[in-house]
Amino acid sequence: MARMKFLCDADRCIECNACVTACKNEHEVPWGINRRRVVTINDGLPGERSVSMACMHCTDAPCAQVCPVNCFYTTNDGVVLHNKDTCIGCGYCFYACPFGAPQYPKASNFGSRGKMDKCTYCSGGPEEDLSIAEYEKYGANRLAEGKLPLCAEMCSTKSLLAGDGDIIAEIYRERVVTRGYGSGAWGWKTAYGETINVSA
Amino acid sequence: MLIKRKNIQASGTGGALAQSFLGMGQRRLDRRSFLRRSGVAVGGLAAVSSLSGGLFQRAEAATPHNHAAPAERRKNMCTHCSVGCSVIAEVQNGVWVGQEPAFESPINRGSHCAKGASSRELVHGDRRLKYPMKKVGGDWVRITWEQAIDEIGAKMLEIREKSGADSVYMLGSAKFTNEASYLFRKFSAFWGTNNVDHQARICHSTTVAGVANTWGYGAQTNSYNDIRNAKTLIFMGSNAAEAHPVAMQHILSGKETQRANVFVLDPRMTRTAAHATEFVRIRPGTDIAVIWGMLWHIFENGWEDKDFIRKRVYGFDEAKAEIMKWNPAEVERVTGLTEEVVKRVAQTFATVKPATFIWCMGGTQHTVGTANVRAYCTLLLATGNVGDIGMGANIFRGHTNVQGATDMGLDVGNLPCYYGLAPAAWAHWCRVWDVPFSYIESRFDDVPAKQGREARTRAQNMEVSGIPSTRWFDAALLDADDVDQQDGIKAMVVFGHGANTIPRMKAAQNGMNALDLLVVADPHPTTFAALHTRTDNTYLLPICTNFECHGSRTASNRSLQWGEKVVEPIFESDNDYAVIYRLSQRLGFADEMFKTFEMVDGKFSKEPTAESILREVNRGGWSTGYTGQSPERLKAHMRNQDKFDIITLRAPKDDPEVGGDYYGLPWPCWGTPEMKHPGTHVLYNTNVPVAEGGGAFRPRFGLEREGVSLLAEDSWPVGSDIEDGYPEFTMALLQKLGWDSELTAEERAVIEKIGGGDPEKIAKVSWTLDLSGGIQRVAIAHGCVPFGNGKARVIAWNLPDPVPVHREPIYTPRPDLVAEYPTREDGRQLRMPNIGHTIQARAVEQKLFDQFPTVLTSGRLVEFEGGGEETRSNPWLAELQQDMFCEVNTKDAAAKGIKDGAWIWVYGPEENAKVRVKALVTDRVAPGVAFMPFHFAGWFMGEDQRGKYPQGTDPVVLGESVNAVTTYGYDPVTGMHEGKATLCRIEAAA
Amino acid sequence: MTLRFKLAALVLGATLGFSAPVMAQQPVNPTASSVQEQQLLDALKPGETISGRISIPDARAADLEKPSNKTWMGFNLGVSDRVMGVALVGTALALLVFFMVKGRLAIEAGRSGRTITRFNIFERTVHWTMATSFIVLALSGINVAVGRYIVMPWLGYEAFGSLTYLGKLAHNYLAWPFMLCVVITFVMWVRHNIPNRLDLRWLKEGGGLLVKGKHPPAKKFNAGQKIVFWGVVVGGGLVSASGLLLMFPWFLNSATDWQLAQIAHALIASGMMAMILGHIYIGTVGTEGALDAMTSGQVDVNWAEQHHSLWLEEELARGAVQRRGPGGEVTPAE
Repeated sequence: MARMKFLCDADRCIECNACVTACKNEHEVPWGINRRRVVTINDGLPGERSVSMACMHCTDAPCAQVCPVNCFYTTNDGVVLHNKDTCIGCGYCFYACPFGAPQYPKASNFGSRGKMDKCTYCSGGPEEDLSIAEYEKYGANRLAEGKLPLCAEMCSTKSLLAGDGDIIAEIYRERVVTRGYGSGAWGWKTAYGETINVSA
Repeated sequence: MLIKRKNIQASGTGGALAQSFLGMGQRRLDRRSFLRRSGVAVGGLAAVSSLSGGLFQRAEAATPHNHAAPAERRKNMCTHCSVGCSVIAEVQNGVWVGQEPAFESPINRGSHCAKGASSRELVHGDRRLKYPMKKVGGDWVRITWEQAIDEIGAKMLEIREKSGADSVYMLGSAKFTNEASYLFRKFSAFWGTNNVDHQARICHSTTVAGVANTWGYGAQTNSYNDIRNAKTLIFMGSNAAEAHPVAMQHILSGKETQRANVFVLDPRMTRTAAHATEFVRIRPGTDIAVIWGMLWHIFENGWEDKDFIRKRVYGFDEAKAEIMKWNPAEVERVTGLTEEVVKRVAQTFATVKPATFIWCMGGTQHTVGTANVRAYCTLLLATGNVGDIGMGANIFRGHTNVQGATDMGLDVGNLPCYYGLAPAAWAHWCRVWDVPFSYIESRFDDVPAKQGREARTRAQNMEVSGIPSTRWFDAALLDADDVDQQDGIKAMVVFGHGANTIPRMKAAQNGMNALDLLVVADPHPTTFAALHTRTDNTYLLPICTNFECHGSRTASNRSLQWGEKVVEPIFESDNDYAVIYRLSQRLGFADEMFKTFEMVDGKFSKEPTAESILREVNRGGWSTGYTGQSPERLKAHMRNQDKFDIITLRAPKDDPEVGGDYYGLPWPCWGTPEMKHPGTHVLYNTNVPVAEGGGAFRPRFGLEREGVSLLAEDSWPVGSDIEDGYPEFTMALLQKLGWDSELTAEERAVIEKIGGGDPEKIAKVSWTLDLSGGIQRVAIAHGCVPFGNGKARVIAWNLPDPVPVHREPIYTPRPDLVAEYPTREDGRQLRMPNIGHTIQARAVEQKLFDQFPTVLTSGRLVEFEGGGEETRSNPWLAELQQDMFCEVNTKDAAAKGIKDGAWIWVYGPEENAKVRVKALVTDRVAPGVAFMPFHFAGWFMGEDQRGKYPQGTDPVVLGESVNAVTTYGYDPVTGMHEGKATLCRIEAAA
Repeated sequence: MTLRFKLAALVLGATLGFSAPVMAQQPVNPTASSVQEQQLLDALKPGETISGRISIPDARAADLEKPSNKTWMGFNLGVSDRVMGVALVGTALALLVFFMVKGRLAIEAGRSGRTITRFNIFERTVHWTMATSFIVLALSGINVAVGRYIVMPWLGYEAFGSLTYLGKLAHNYLAWPFMLCVVITFVMWVRHNIPNRLDLRWLKEGGGLLVKGKHPPAKKFNAGQKIVFWGVVVGGGLVSASGLLLMFPWFLNSATDWQLAQIAHALIASGMMAMILGHIYIGTVGTEGALDAMTSGQVDVNWAEQHHSLWLEEELARGAVQRRGPGGEVTPAE
């Protein structure tokens, strides 16, 4: 079955942060929580590249493995989601995540971590699809509406791709062949154990 | 298929114990508690909740989007840069609850940048101005609209009585719709002043002047989409990745498919440069030297397009005299660039075609801005890179409607659609407005003789360009005798313009304090409300955003797009149309001014419909082809966005509604809407028939000079019945060609009426004055361009420096070059003295470079826009840039002991200016160069001014303004400020 | 232009040429010189992060990718859980074996009926406050580590989630009395716990277990108790410190710091739990009469003679022994 993935084509990314605010907009994500962010490597040097990063929805997700209360689950689309009712805000998923995806509001006792929040691949959570309760806990559920994550849909340069991993890998492969360069499918090796082979 | 719940064992063997734990302790995340945090974390929203009563509408931020219920989709455009991205708003119960990608738009194809993707927050409006306010004894007090309009009107009339109409400055906005821009220009005319301006002054005024003076029109020749066809691109002073992010979609896609050469010539290694195939670091203010250096190689090696030049360009023989001074040695001495680099860029640009040249404010915001622009055009003309797909001057404009507002004449020297200020132009618009010329004349001041300058009658004053927005405060502070009008500036009426995007903010602050009246009409209070220490006679009028009104806007590529009202204006805000109407009512000329419009009931008062305003523009905008874009056609385009090709921007010919049209009917869209001209995707393109969007260079500089013809030779748009150059079409020309018989009786009647029945005057009625459109129709039927078929020119004999000359910035890091390349002599332009030369000489004499050894330049951030009040008030954006900063090179920082993120002081060479900002230590800038973004305000020279905003309207993020330390310097043609090259000193702050 | 001016210009130009490496003229091709993810990954050492620049103030957000976070995951799931398991189960088993072999350590001389005050009410309150909070901390801690393997199947997913959340609340709140008690205990008893020669002998003689009827002398605390004391003070201190870092994550910068804090917390806590298991055994079933010290605070004199002979001598010298009269009333010693 298809596995949903993100792919940031860094040779297209211009750090415009549309993905970041699109996410804020779609899910009303509060100040201080960054489900998605853009990091620039080698800033200011020739060859700098910006990469948009969020939860990569890993295969064998480390967050799910370390969670003391097993609040994570993987959907049939390969999206890694979690149950905020069960989450205890321990932070383990953040320690295990290679991409810094889990975010915590400073809302629990002593201002320590509240319940974890992260990218849902715009597919809500365990509440009923498209219910108000789901929206208020997890944000919108675009997948249930037949849409893809808004960050990718609104990406200014079509750098951030979302969709079936095989299809977006093919798009990326074609791009690299057409243009003759590619800095890699950032995060894929770490998240999925394999990267995209481009024999250009 | 999606699994919603993990297969979880509902309860184990724990039985009763397990049951007792269920739902206990573990508080389920409360409804809205996730959402609610957004408010809490930002803080300071208490003001919103304390407001109540009256017509006040509560902020809608917490209203959740009910995805299970249907939402209405409304389409409008992003209100930030000029790319023109469509925004789809989902509305439930009158509240904008969601935003969807507009995949069907050929311009953005669903994409946005950070600003566009957060548009919805603009209409949540936590930090918006909620009702009219005024200052009473230094405190902000809520007042009613009636009181505000009444008091403002009374004060304006009082000032008019005492100091004349010209002493009220009308500062408009690039955020206006076309209709509001037009209305504001008309309002200024009916008030009786040419002191009307907007952000184009500080953005691309030099582009408009330079480009129009080269080949006819002051606009982007091609489009963002068309860049997909380019094989070579030069970005000079453009950081599209931050300023026009969605344009980068077309640029990077084109770069990939064409394997194009992308050169970025810039002082900074920008996010755009990161995607270049070659980055060339230049010293700020040396553009002309670099371009002439490139042309030196082009001419030296014969890479110029000789055929193109012969047929379509005038003046290279003369221009070469200046250009060929720039041999590689001199270029290297002045710019630091080696022969090899300059030659490589030049050769590629000249030989790997089509090539396009892209510039922005890095080119325009200089004392030599107009000359820079003409140098760029000269390079394009020399290489034959204008007038076809994949080429051209792709000038990326800054604001959502800066192109349209410029087109609508929000400019000190123009009437709508570039008619100028000549009597014939005024007469034309008086005909459109259905008022006698004498009525408008009576509204203007006569100007007494001052300091040896001649006096002006009212009619003469109508022809004199006003004061540029960069100098309003000088006009408020200088001795009235120095200002070439009845009196200095006494009142500012500011509709949608910040004060922090113009240099010399200390002077602006003094200027604000000196005014008798300050009116700020804006969704946010802006720096105009906070910078000064005024105690009274200061008004804030809450204007809604473009998402809260109908109207069209013109993107950088000249395409018009119709935006529909997404929601009703929130709080007590109202739209520009209504507010201008009420103000003109109070000032006593509403009946005359608004009689041509369809009036409807608005939120608080009558207001004209946007459609009827656009129809009036259609009736009068012949010179620029603003006549074919009827509201109906524009709305049809918005309905059929998906029909337009993303490269050609054209719809298939067989489409019933928009068949054959270019998207947004990019001007010129000739003739009446019924003529169905498709608009002009690429300007001056002779490879396409005029009826299909073709054209030629516009002969607007005379027919010959020194015995040499200025008309095109052996070049004409395909399908033209005249296979040669020809002048603009007039009734006389039609008669000469025998084509006048093709005019309909109605057209002829209109033309004869304009000519007053006098055959001589009728013969002079031209394509721009013919209100019937008949002359254009007949010319185009014969495959001819209504404006004629001329040559572009590389010598602008009517401008200072007819051939651009390198001139060092006023505050230059190379004082050794000033003797050879000084700024222009002092003079008077646009009613004001310009003493740049004196200041430059003094800076050299006082060795200011020793005290201020770092070059300071400025620019944009992707998250914010313009003065930034709107975007810094948007928490989704503000979170991403929370501190004003200064980019300092790593070596400079190490030498000064400055750490990344530490506080520093940046000192400017004028007015003891200093700003406290955070250091961003980076190699984006070269050693000896510093960069600051220009969107910040709310701190001034170390002082936090948050308390000066009305409560609850202070932007989330405040910071020092770069323009507190920028300095004197004005382009002699347009009054453009020097925003990109000055000097500063950087010190670590304690 | 005069020759002098030209020369000046030339010199200046040359100086600028040298002093401004900015204008270095090699073609700069940002596309071709683009950073490659694979190269960065190859160059990455264990524990290192691929980081860059980000405009938001949260410095952690600038970390793009850190594959070695999975190492922590491995440690957490493998080593840490196992250590805890071994520490707890192993200690428990060892004590069971010990009990079966040795049985209860009796008061050799039998109860005398005369008691002496060993711990006053304050000391006992501190001890039991610490003890109860520690037990809850330990249980909730164990639950977080391995509860999902052993508790969840039994309790069910949702109830287990609630229990764990309650546990986390308890853990966060009871940490405070625990830490307070650690501090008080240290101040209260440190003077009795300075190691000395006697401790060496006591240890050499195995606390009297090796040779029946022969008990090494000890003051108020014998070497075994001193070990527990220092274990509680040092272990408790470290577990508190690492716990505080986990409770207030904003003090630390990186996932690495938290990972280290978490590992330290888990390992130290495991050690402490093992030690405290032993302590509980000795203080209850393991030693006759020992529990009295922390319940009534009165220990039998014979018990004191057997385990803390020197302390008893000191106390007798101070005249602190109480005699239980025939009527059961407590009368002060002569």
